[in-house]
Amino acid sequence: MNCVELQRSLGEVEDGSSLEQRSHLRACSACSELVRELNLIVAAASQLQAADEPSPRVWNSIEIALRQEGLIRPPGVGRPQVPSFSARWGRARWLVPAAAMLLLALGIYVRRESLPNQLAQQAAVAVPVAIASDLDDDDLMQEVAANSPAMKPQYEENLRWVNESIRDAQGVVDGSPNDMEARRALMDAYQQKSMLFEMAMDRSLP
Amino acid sequence: MRPEKGSLTEPRQQQGTEPSEAELIERAKLGDAEAFQALYEKHKRRVYSLCLRMTANTAEAEDLAQEAFLQLYRKIATFRGESAFSTWLHRLSVNVVLMHLRKKSLPVVSLEETTQGTEEDSPKRDFGADDVALAGSIDRMQLQRAVDNLPPGYRTIFVLHDIEGYEHNEIAKIAGCSIGNSKSQLHKARMKLRDLLKMNRAEKAGKSRAG
Repeated sequence: MNCVELQRSLGEVEDGSSLEQRSHLRACSACSELVRELNLIVAAASQLQAADEPSPRVWNSIEIALRQEGLIRPPGVGRPQVPSFSARWGRARWLVPAAAMLLLALGIYVRRESLPNQLAQQAAVAVPVAIASDLDDDDLMQEVAANSPAMKPQYEENLRWVNESIRDAQGVVDGSPNDMEARRALMDAYQQKSMLFEMAMDRSLP
Repeated sequence: MRPEKGSLTEPRQQQGTEPSEAELIERAKLGDAEAFQALYEKHKRRVYSLCLRMTANTAEAEDLAQEAFLQLYRKIATFRGESAFSTWLHRLSVNVVLMHLRKKSLPVVSLEETTQGTEEDSPKRDFGADDVALAGSIDRMQLQRAVDNLPPGYRTIFVLHDIEGYEHNEIAKIAGCSIGNSKSQLHKARMKLRDLLKMNRAEKAGKSRAG
């Protein structure tokens, strides 16, 4: 067996353990070094298994989709009661279903055939929703800080991501009011924010 | 399974022992949100890393990981426990990624059935072997970068076999190739990685000599 044959045979017997391979490797330092280095690579490969962590948006998106598909049931009997929120959050709490109704109305309207001036009005409708949502963010973060400060960074990260999505989508809609895909993306972004608040309200804060 | 600290969707720990995976699966079948999330937390790294290694793109990997878990949850009612849950999830994830690669018209397995004449006629050229031998252990980040730089077909085989532990007969079924092709492509993938790692080290050695 020569060097070429040895290298070809590694496709079949990967670790150089056959009789012929071992015989050649005993006599050939270059091929011996090759096999050693290939074995190093194989040994190192296991480091890459489960080496990385997805961002929080992956679970957020999964949970939103599961709720939309009805695969997640609402909390049942026996779960701890949702704690009472402060008066300020109580007022802001009603803004969420109101925002959801506005989103639904906006969504129905957006999906119809419409004239460019009506599209401009739709973009304007999104602004008060955005303003209301900003107020909700402050109320929510103050409640989280008061009731569960350990979770505050995660809430901040999720809200930041959702608000960025809304701003990006709004920017595209403002620039291209006739872009149906952009308007759908804006709707999806608001919907995700609405779901985020809903999830936070459904879950009892530790 | 440790819940993610500070997570918005942090699952509540029940008093006493943590639920077993079998219990989580049964609860997930009933639509228990916390069970869904607990299963996700337990398997997310493996699924995501698989997607990332095979696509070398974080955005794509996140989308594919999301799709894999969604498919899992949609089908969880049909899981009967004949195989390990992790095996089932893993196989599903691999299929999701391979479907994605096929849609992108990327070769799942390298189309290089025959080797090039120049490569086969002489032993592999070493890149300054004395200076840049792959001695000791290989840095994880360097290996990760080298894998990302593999051609897609080689990358698939290397990820499935050497990282994820699939056997050649399994890869042949999954990827739609022969066992012999799987073996030869794996060897070529490793040879290519060796070259990439040596090039990287040669560049670093050159820079440190110059500096």
